[in-house]
Amino acid sequence: MSGAFTKTMARNIFYGGSAFFIFIFIALTFDTVGALPERDHRENINEQVILGKRVWENNNCVGCHTLMGEGAYFAPELANVYNRFGNSKEAIIGFIKSRPVDGIPGRRSMPQFNLSDEELEGVAEFLKWTSEVDDANWPPNIQG
Amino acid sequence: MQYQSQMVAKPYFIAAIGLFIGQIIFGLIMGWQYVVGDFLFPEIPFNVARMVHTNLLIVWLLFGFMGASYYLVPEESETELYSPKLALALFWIFLVAGALTIVGYLAVPYATLAQVTGNELLPTMGREFLEQPTITKIGIVIVALGFLFNIAMTVLKGRKTTVSLVLLIGLTGLALLFLFSFYNPHNLVLDKMFWWYVVHLWVEGVWELILGAILAFVLIKTTGVDREVIEKWLYVIIAMTLITGILGTGHHFYWIGTPEYWQIIGSVFSALEPIPFFMMTVFAFNMVNQRRREHPNKAAVLWALGTAVMAFLGAGVWGFLHTLSPVNYYTHGSQITAAHGHMAFYGAYVMIVLTIISYAMPMMRGRAAANSEKAQVMEMWSFWLMTVAMVFITLFLTAAGILQIYMQRMGGDAAQPFMVVQENIALFYWLREGAGFVFLTGLILYVVSFFVGGEERKETA
Amino acid sequence: MMNPNSHTTPTTNSPPGDLAIWVFILAELAVFGVLFAVYAFARRYNLELFDLHQQHLNRTAGLVNTVTLITSSYFVVRAVAAIKEGDAKRCGRWLWSANALGLLFILVKGVEYQHHFSQGIGLSTNLFYTFYIGMTFFHFMHVLMGMVILFVVAHKAGRGGYTASEHTGVETGASYWHMVDLVWIILFPLVYVMH
Repeated sequence: MSGAFTKTMARNIFYGGSAFFIFIFIALTFDTVGALPERDHRENINEQVILGKRVWENNNCVGCHTLMGEGAYFAPELANVYNRFGNSKEAIIGFIKSRPVDGIPGRRSMPQFNLSDEELEGVAEFLKWTSEVDDANWPPNIQG
Repeated sequence: MQYQSQMVAKPYFIAAIGLFIGQIIFGLIMGWQYVVGDFLFPEIPFNVARMVHTNLLIVWLLFGFMGASYYLVPEESETELYSPKLALALFWIFLVAGALTIVGYLAVPYATLAQVTGNELLPTMGREFLEQPTITKIGIVIVALGFLFNIAMTVLKGRKTTVSLVLLIGLTGLALLFLFSFYNPHNLVLDKMFWWYVVHLWVEGVWELILGAILAFVLIKTTGVDREVIEKWLYVIIAMTLITGILGTGHHFYWIGTPEYWQIIGSVFSALEPIPFFMMTVFAFNMVNQRRREHPNKAAVLWALGTAVMAFLGAGVWGFLHTLSPVNYYTHGSQITAAHGHMAFYGAYVMIVLTIISYAMPMMRGRAAANSEKAQVMEMWSFWLMTVAMVFITLFLTAAGILQIYMQRMGGDAAQPFMVVQENIALFYWLREGAGFVFLTGLILYVVSFFVGGEERKETA
Repeated sequence: MMNPNSHTTPTTNSPPGDLAIWVFILAELAVFGVLFAVYAFARRYNLELFDLHQQHLNRTAGLVNTVTLITSSYFVVRAVAAIKEGDAKRCGRWLWSANALGLLFILVKGVEYQHHFSQGIGLSTNLFYTFYIGMTFFHFMHVLMGMVILFVVAHKAGRGGYTASEHTGVETGASYWHMVDLVWIILFPLVYVMH
């Protein structure tokens, strides 16, 4: 008998261990996807929310902001912006609309995206829907 | 260099370094925008600069991985590359597609780019790191498939070693997991969840296999330690990588709407993720200490050891800092994440690509086993400048992050708004930008070192 | 740390089996140890919830499975003893028997899961079920893994792949199986009984 730690043994642990955890991961993926409807309120995803998400993507908003903590860290968190702006879609729309074209001297400023009224409404709906997702009570406070 | 077709790696490495320079320049632009908010506004808004910065990083690392594969697979397989012509054709396709994409980012507003590239047909744009137009993504898939085919055929017709096998598994995983980038449901929670199947399973999964394989190859070549020993280590390291890393994906599922059991699974398994990186450090130093020859390329050995140490610090230690869910509740999406991201990418992936370039380039340029003493000294200076600069970038961002969390997320009613806090911590952003310029100096020195002549160092052992 | 050069150094008779399996057994025990600690911690803050839902578990099934695994561990001990006497046939038979008990465990646990799932209970039902299903399923997967290992070892033993002097594989597989058993012996009272 020997306590030799052979390359074959190491290889078996790699293949066995990987397969093992890939399987568990797939099982958990199914469980998670099954559990999501209770948390994401997908019944509220209407045409406006869908349009809003597309506007969010097509203007690369995530290149400056975080949304549920993911994105860039240059501008405020937006998963709770609906609440921060006093549960008001109008406030969100007003803010986006009023961004100066040439920015603010010496300071960070959001670009003027020239969105249509329909798109503005969509973005606001999308951010409202996002604020209602059950994300384990994150962020810690209203400041995001 | 033993096989003529290995030469195909050279344009890949040159392109990688070129794009690396671009990445750093845009990093400096962003760093400046952090403190002088209207810098280059509205010509290059921050989101565009960031997109260029991160996309260039990904693309040049892919160039590096592909170059590394074209260099090491023929040597491992003891046969010429299956098709050097295909490799060269794919190089130009990838370079032109990449360049056009970057030009697109800079020339027109992102929304216009989305429109002209037909994003509506199959919307995949506008998600972090996956900003590329759908057509570019399809191009990436085609290039990846052609590349995989070329590498796989080479491995199949020649000697099959553990190094080339692990590399092939890593590259296949890279290509397959990228397919998740085409899944973009209307439901943001599902979108975010599967977005990580690309991002996490790349950088904390299959990319580590590629990293391990390249590191093992360079160590076999430079230390002369028995291949069996090195390959055994490689298997153990990548086994631990996947055993901890796959369920470690859970540390991204704490606050995006996914079930809360991920807080337990993610915390437990991602807390173990530093283990493979620690083993990699032990492995690299062990092998170099047990070396059976003195390889004349001291710079390459330095890069290899540097990779192991910095990957452990950046990915391992800085990752662990904020991976437990009770901690992450406060650190999530703050400058702490940025600090970790910078050092982890530099330590694990930038440095491994620079390692293989450092090892392979002298031979591809028709020199002996290594560059001249003078050139190597300069390269090692660039190593220290870039690495120390990156340590300071990470430390300053960590300090900024801690203050940000304290002011913005703690202290109850006294918590301050995001933009106010950003101004309060501007000092650390200035310091970070300073360290960024040191990094650029190191990078310039690195490029210059390629043009330093002198008497080449030959194999001595 | 493991020594990658251990094949060049003379080896002793302890611990039994391959060195690598011991590294992984320790790693496994560490993971389960952390999970048990987190469980104990979470239970302290949710005593009522945990005690309430614990009532709904089938303790008889748990007990049956405990006896099953302990017995199978004994079979594995007999298998090692057999191969040490050079009796590969007998060794193989004990291993197949142990594997059959593994299958019994899987069946019993499967029926339990079936019962929970049919009631709509899952990982996210509440914190207790997150732990109960999470930990037992993770262990369940280990039993399957152990069965695959025992299967391979039994198969090789049957073809005369081991001898009285060289049977590292048998000891390696046995060590893994004992670990799986050991984890259950802690898991069962912790999750099913203790309140």
